[in-house]
Amino acid sequence: MNTVVDRSIDIGEFIAQPDDDMLICRCEEITKGEIRKAVHDGMWTLTEIRRYLRTGMGLCQGQTCSRLVKGIVARELGVSPAELEPATARSPMRPTEMRIFGTEEV
Amino acid sequence: MKRYEVIIVGAGPAGLSAAIEAAKKGLKVVVFDENDKPGGQLFKQIHKFFGSKEHHAKIRGYKIGEELLKEAGELGVEVVLNATVVGLYPDKEVNVRINDEIHHFKGDTVIIATGASENMVTFPGWTLPGVIGAGAAQTMMNIHGIRPGKKILMLGSGNVGLVVSFQLLQAGCEVVAIVDAAPRIGGYGVHASKVSRTGVPFYLSHTIKQVHGEDCVTGVTITEVDDHFAPIPDTEKFFEVDTVCMAVGLSPMSQLLKMAGCVMEDNPKRGGQVPIVDEYGETSVSGIFAAGDVSGIEEASSAMIEGKMAGVCVAEYLGYIDEEEKDSLLKVFDADLNSLRQGMFAPKNRGKLIESTEEGIEISKNLLKKGYVKDDEIERFPGVVHKSGVHPVIECTQNIPCNPCQDACKKGCISTGKNITYLPFVKDGSECINCGMCVASCSGQAIFLVNEDCGDGSATVTLPYEFFPLPEVGTVGFGLSRKGEKLCEAEVVSVKSVGAFDHTNLLTMKVPKEYAMKARFFKCS
Repeated sequence: MNTVVDRSIDIGEFIAQPDDDMLICRCEEITKGEIRKAVHDGMWTLTEIRRYLRTGMGLCQGQTCSRLVKGIVARELGVSPAELEPATARSPMRPTEMRIFGTEEV
Repeated sequence: MKRYEVIIVGAGPAGLSAAIEAAKKGLKVVVFDENDKPGGQLFKQIHKFFGSKEHHAKIRGYKIGEELLKEAGELGVEVVLNATVVGLYPDKEVNVRINDEIHHFKGDTVIIATGASENMVTFPGWTLPGVIGAGAAQTMMNIHGIRPGKKILMLGSGNVGLVVSFQLLQAGCEVVAIVDAAPRIGGYGVHASKVSRTGVPFYLSHTIKQVHGEDCVTGVTITEVDDHFAPIPDTEKFFEVDTVCMAVGLSPMSQLLKMAGCVMEDNPKRGGQVPIVDEYGETSVSGIFAAGDVSGIEEASSAMIEGKMAGVCVAEYLGYIDEEEKDSLLKVFDADLNSLRQGMFAPKNRGKLIESTEEGIEISKNLLKKGYVKDDEIERFPGVVHKSGVHPVIECTQNIPCNPCQDACKKGCISTGKNITYLPFVKDGSECINCGMCVASCSGQAIFLVNEDCGDGSATVTLPYEFFPLPEVGTVGFGLSRKGEKLCEAEVVSVKSVGAFDHTNLLTMKVPKEYAMKARFFKCS
C-alpha cells in the first residue's frame, strides 16, 4: 500500500490543460487544475490533498469526488490509482451538525 | 450502551438476508439503515430477476424486498430506519445518529452491508442540473413517482444503464441514445434488445464531449473514440436533451470497514476500495463481516446469498450453531452462489470478449454493437425454430444462469438442457397451447409466441408488453423490427393481463406473414 512515497521522483513542471477549470469536488468547489497544481506543490497523498484543498470534506463527504480526485492525482504522479492509499476514514461518516454530534445517548 | 448479538448496517438485500439467517438461529439482531424506507435498491427494481427459483428468478425486485422484510419482521428482527451509522470501531462499538442524537451500541458481531455509490465521469457541463446518476433517475421514478426529464441520453450500457433506460421509457420519457466508450455493450443482450426494439439507438465507442446549457441541460454532444478512448475528430453528434443519465459503475461504500481497522485493498475487479475478506465475508477484524456490494460489486441476487452466509457465520461465531451445521448450510449457499456466477457475464469473464456460446454458436456481433440480433443472425440460435401453428420463439442468445422459461411451460415445451446457463430450446414433438406463460416468465423479455402462417396471408406475434396505456384490441399501428424500425402495419388482436403474468401484458399483433420472424414490437400509429 502507498507505494508513492518516494518523493525524489521527478514529475515535471505543472503544464496547464484546457479543462483545468472543470469542477471536480462540487461541495467545496475545487477544480481539476487546483488538484493538479497541488500535486506539483508536493501534495502526493490523498490525505495531504484533502487537508490542502478540502476536497471531499464538504456536504457529500467525498461520495462523488474521491474516486475522481484519486484518478487525477494518480495520473499526475504517473501511477495507477490502486497504488494510492485512500484518505483516512473517520467518524462522523456522514455530515453531522456539531450540536447533534455533541448530544450523546450513552 | 445497548448491546446486540448482531448489528447489521444496511437494510438492503444483503443486510436483510443476513438478519433473517441470524434471527432464524435465535440471535438478537438489529439492522440500521440511514434511509426512511428499508430494502436498499430492491424497491427501485421493478424488473423481473434472472436466475433459478432459489435466486428468486422472475420475481420483481420490489416483491423480493417485501418478502425479505416480512420474513425479517416475523423473526423478530429489529429494523431501525433513519438511523445513520456514523462510526464503527475495532471493538465493535457502533455510533448511530437517530433523530438529533448520537446513540452508542455494542455488537458481539457486526455485519456491514452498506452497498455502493454511483460513479461519475467528468466532462464540460457535468455539474449542470439535469446531469444525474442512473440510480438517482431510478429513485425519482420508482420511489417518488417523478419523471427525471422528457428527453434523456444514457451514458453506460451495462445492466444498470440498460435496465434504467427501459424504466425511463416505461415512465414515458424519450431515450434518445445509449452511449458507451467501450466497443461492446456491457450488459445482457436481452436487456439491450428490449430497449432497442422500441427504437433507442446505441452508440458504442462513443463518449460525451460536452453537455450544453447555462443553468440546466439543453443538449449534449457525443464523439466517437478510438481503441485508446481518444476522441476521433469530426465525429461529433448533437442531441437535444434535458437530462443526461450516468450509469458508469459503482464504488463500494466501505469507509466504515476502513475506519474499524479492517485490512483493505484497492481492487479494480471488485469496484474499488474493499475489505479483504474470507470466502464467507469475515474481515481481518474478528467478528466483523462484510456482505453484498460493499465487499465487491455484483448484483442483488449474489448479495442476498452473501448476506445469508454472513448470517450463518455469526451464528456459529457466537455458538448458536456448531461448525458442522454451519458447514452444511454454507455448502448449500456455496452451490447457489456458484450457479449464479456462471455464464458469459460471470465475474471471471469480466472484460473478456466472448465470441461463441457454450454450445459453440457464434455470438451476434450486432447485438454487442447495436443492441439487437440481425434477422440473418437470429436463425442460428436453438430457441428460434419454425413450426406450424402457434409456437414459442426464444431469442435468448447469450449464456446467462437463468431458467424460469423451463418451469413456466406446463406442457414441457422448453428446456435449457443440463446446465442452467445453456440457451433454451423448444423440445421436438412438444405441443404449445398458447398459454403465454413462457412469454411472461422470461425476465429478459426474449420469448415470443408466433404463428407464422394463419392461412390468410397474415401471421400473429405475441410479445411481452410493459407499457401504459395498453393498446386496445383492434388498434392499428406498426410492427417494429428488432432495431425498432417501422416494418409493416400491425393490428392488435389480443391483450392478455392476468395475475400469473405479474404485470407483463401479452400483446398479440397481426402482421403480414413475411414479417412473422421480423416484427418484435408494437407501436401505436
